Amino acid sequence: MRLPRISATSTTLLKVVGFSLLDAVALYFLVLLAWEKSWLFVGLIAAGLLGLNVLAFSRRLYPLRYLAPGLFFLVLMVVLPLVYTVYISFTNYATGNILSKSQVIEVLTRRYYLPPNAPTFTFRAYGGEGGLYALFLFGPAGQYVLFPDGRLSRAEDHALQDADNDGIPEAIDGYSLLSLAEVARLSGELQKLEVPFGEGVLRLTTLSTMRVYSPQYAYDPVRDVLTDLRTGKEYRPQGGNFVAADGEKLDPGWVTFVGFANYLRFLRDPLYHGAFVRVFTWTVVWAVLTVVLSFALGLGLAILLNDKTLRFRKLYRSLLIVPYAIPAFISILIWRGFFNTEVGLFNRVLTQAFGIRVPWLTTPFWARFSCILTNVWLTYPYMMLVSLGALQAIPEEMYEAAKVDGATGWRRFVHITFPLLLISVAPLLIGSFAFTFNNFTLIWLLTRGEPVVEIGSRAGATDILLSYAYKLAFMGGRGSEYNMTAALAVIIFVIVALISGISFARTKALEEVSRGL
Amino acid sequence: MAFRRKPLRFWVGRLLRNLLAWVAIAFALFPAAFVLGTSFDPVQNLRTARIIPTQPTLENYRYLFLERQEINFPRWLLNTVYVAGITAATGVFLCALGAYAFSRFRFRGRRTGLLTILLVQMFPQTVGMVAIYLILQTLGKQIPWLGLNTHPGLILVYLGGAIGFNTWFMKGYFDTIPRSLEESALVDGASPFQAFWRIVLPVARPILAVVFVIQFISVYSEYLLASLILKGMDKYTLAVGLQLFIGEAYNRRWGSFAAAAVIGAALILLIFYALQSQIISGLTGGAVKE
Repeated sequence: MRLPRISATSTTLLKVVGFSLLDAVALYFLVLLAWEKSWLFVGLIAAGLLGLNVLAFSRRLYPLRYLAPGLFFLVLMVVLPLVYTVYISFTNYATGNILSKSQVIEVLTRRYYLPPNAPTFTFRAYGGEGGLYALFLFGPAGQYVLFPDGRLSRAEDHALQDADNDGIPEAIDGYSLLSLAEVARLSGELQKLEVPFGEGVLRLTTLSTMRVYSPQYAYDPVRDVLTDLRTGKEYRPQGGNFVAADGEKLDPGWVTFVGFANYLRFLRDPLYHGAFVRVFTWTVVWAVLTVVLSFALGLGLAILLNDKTLRFRKLYRSLLIVPYAIPAFISILIWRGFFNTEVGLFNRVLTQAFGIRVPWLTTPFWARFSCILTNVWLTYPYMMLVSLGALQAIPEEMYEAAKVDGATGWRRFVHITFPLLLISVAPLLIGSFAFTFNNFTLIWLLTRGEPVVEIGSRAGATDILLSYAYKLAFMGGRGSEYNMTAALAVIIFVIVALISGISFARTKALEEVSRGL
Repeated sequence: MAFRRKPLRFWVGRLLRNLLAWVAIAFALFPAAFVLGTSFDPVQNLRTARIIPTQPTLENYRYLFLERQEINFPRWLLNTVYVAGITAATGVFLCALGAYAFSRFRFRGRRTGLLTILLVQMFPQTVGMVAIYLILQTLGKQIPWLGLNTHPGLILVYLGGAIGFNTWFMKGYFDTIPRSLEESALVDGASPFQAFWRIVLPVARPILAVVFVIQFISVYSEYLLASLILKGMDKYTLAVGLQLFIGEAYNRRWGSFAAAAVIGAALILLIFYALQSQIISGLTGGAVKE
């Protein structure tokens, strides 16, 4: 189709007016945002506005008007996460290394400690109906009035009323002395006070004293060194943390690039290596067995249903695909109940019939068996439908020739049906393999990756790569290891890409696709 | 008599085949049958629940719609239908727009665009969960109603995942709609968008329905991202809520769980069997999608 002619004048006029209004409103907000110095938003809105205008008025970009809305979501929630995941996998982004370096320096230089000779103030609180008015601080370092908002002023500037002359006023600026019990009630508020005083800060130490805390660290931007003022120890940046010569590391650290370190930990670090190998092996075994077994079952049933002399074929087919039509999460939770060792249906039947109990979900072998059994039940209808379609696509003549040659049913199947079927079904099997490879829902709802096989390792007997990745990020005994999860995700990406690559190469689907363009 | 002529082998074979089919059907149906039966049994322990209850009642169903503390079933169902419905409806529209452009316009970068979408779509969205989580967290700091623990945030995530494959799928269908249909309209002075809206979309209604239903079902059943993003009892979808509700409590919540499972599955079963042939061709024809 050719690009459209310039549309009728009235519509054009309407468009121009509409966009002028939109631009005017947006510009107004841009000025407001610029006033507040929200540069990120200024940038985003300006870019969005420019994009919209170009889209609306450029004839060359006309097709993009149709693509842009979908692309927006695709980029935001598929492409961006992909890129972001790869980025994270090369950093140390995890609990303890979430901030930027400048934020870390800010956090550390605002840590304080109490030197032995820190000045001490005793204080009394004053207030009235409206609550706390101010604190009166006195000690060798002078007398001050401290307000709850952190303002500190000299005692001379206030009306102190000290009739008994004991150095503790009965009232300040007309507000009267509060009892210790009332001060105790205010302790939450008082603990939050952090008032700059000289080099350090003034903080509550007891309900009647405040002391001057000194900053613990000083940062020298020229040498890029952090010094502990208490001990004189120097810390230098190294791998995302400030580290002393003796190896002592300060927390928190910051985000920094670590190259392939995360990936190498899966190969070398005993904490991850064993788990990774075990999980990877099981993931492959699980995906292969699921696909092979459910395909075998599905194909068998398809052959059965493909028999034209079988009555009620339509009914049988409809009943056999029920597992496919029930939402998987519901079925899996049901199966989890059936497998339950104490109250489950399977053990109820087995106990009654044979007096035995099987530890379905609690030993590694049986838990893996249960996963595969459940998944075969969930997957075989798909395999059956696919096989049925493929069987029906095999031309009759193929069989007739074989009949003439006197081939038996079994030989017909091995030499004709199966090879032909495999050609059309192979890409779907590979797709199914890739899907099972990452079937988090089944593993998580059925076993949560359990049972535990190794004390201290987070990967259980039935964890697949994706559920292991999930545990590393969101179920942390060791915090959120986003970096390790991301590295694992990239490994999964590579595997998926390889599988898809093989699939494409085998079926030449890409060529078909290209022709279809 | 005719049947006498058939050899015994024929009849044995026929019997065996039917027997085999019924064994398979029993395997396929027993979980659903057991759950349906026990959902009418007020006994809450799976150990003693009976598939044919001695005293069948609707107590479990009544409980689902009155209880709000441990299980907020009506809310979860509503949330699920809401999230799935909005995602599917918006997704269908976005995919149709894109598919129309890819099918009808010739522009630079069209081939590259199509192949890129196909490539990107191969990577399962769930694998990028950490990044998605962090993106939503950041987004939520600026726009609270689009952040973590919000339905619009979850819909945003799902929409991203729904675009690629379905755009392809629909483009294939649009390619089969003859262009002559729109061309006469274009000659009459309609804009391409008008041709798309008034002519192509109505003709493509079957494929729109299929894509809507497939997206609806896949969002309805999605667990990982929903459980990651939704953290409030009143925000859960059915998959997240039901999982937390039953947890390890098969000995004291089975009855109510069974009733919830029946209602939750019935909705999808109805849709599935009503549109059986279209959905199956959609699901088995293209790629594997949950």
